[in-house]
Amino acid sequence: MALSYKLLAGKTAVITGCNRGIGKAILEGFAANGANAIACTRKETIEFSRFISLLSEKYSVSIIPVYFDASDVDEIKSAARQIMASEKQIHILVNNAGVGYNALFQMSSLEKLKEVFEVNFFGPFLFTQYLIKLMVRQNSGNIINISSTAGMDTYDGQSIYGSSKAAMICMTKVIASELRAFGIRANSIAPGMTETDMLLSLPKDVILEKIRKGGDKGICKPSEIADTAVFLASDLSANISGQVIRVDGGMK
Amino acid sequence: MTTFGVKQKELKNLTYQGVALWDSVGHMGLIAGLEETFNIMIETDDIIEFNSYKKGFEILKKYGIEL
Repeated sequence: MALSYKLLAGKTAVITGCNRGIGKAILEGFAANGANAIACTRKETIEFSRFISLLSEKYSVSIIPVYFDASDVDEIKSAARQIMASEKQIHILVNNAGVGYNALFQMSSLEKLKEVFEVNFFGPFLFTQYLIKLMVRQNSGNIINISSTAGMDTYDGQSIYGSSKAAMICMTKVIASELRAFGIRANSIAPGMTETDMLLSLPKDVILEKIRKGGDKGICKPSEIADTAVFLASDLSANISGQVIRVDGGMK
Repeated sequence: MTTFGVKQKELKNLTYQGVALWDSVGHMGLIAGLEETFNIMIETDDIIEFNSYKKGFEILKKYGIEL
């Protein structure tokens, strides 16, 4: 159940990868807090259409779906153009879409490296470049990049995924610095292991070890990431920029 | 609209970083201003190539803006 304090009333957010997992929870958290949303996913599905329709009705907000493949440059450009043509103002951009991958370094191909980076880094990089055009014009904006503790800590098998998330963290900090002059702030949330489909890409023994060490805090709930995103999207964090907030129950 | 405080007769030879206000931040403001004024979306390669007042005309032409 999303916490609802109407912290985002009157704001419009673009959220990528919101048909499941963390993105879906963020969409719900934002809607519960009064934000209108552009909900970006790769494909249209009946379940997702039903989900946004229910959210929209429940919280009296507008949720417009936009479909594009986060690894396809032309689709990213076209989606950005569509959003910029339809919205007068974008207050918040959440770059959440991503893919997981787990393989030992010596078994990680260049092809896979490029594939993961296309979705986890190149896509958000380009999409952000476009959407900040609107934010620069309006002289305000708020970017939240969903990274991972894998981008900061050492996990065997995470050389590709962790590198892509480390790149995302670096981009966040640079954006925060470069765009401060335009009233735009940028932060990143680094979730630890989270109850999503992505968890299935990890070996069972790694998951069990987290549960053994952390108990009920060993694995995060998507709603816990969403609550942090709501905070960063809201004016409660108005003077916070260039930061990475770990949401991992204190686990390392 | 960004003007960089330059007089009209000096515009012809104006180049990126040729005056203090046309620095990297000023450049982003200029691009945003042009995009808003002419309702266009300038591609990253063109933002990079937009290094002078003169070049700016060539680039705007690509977006159907004739001045």
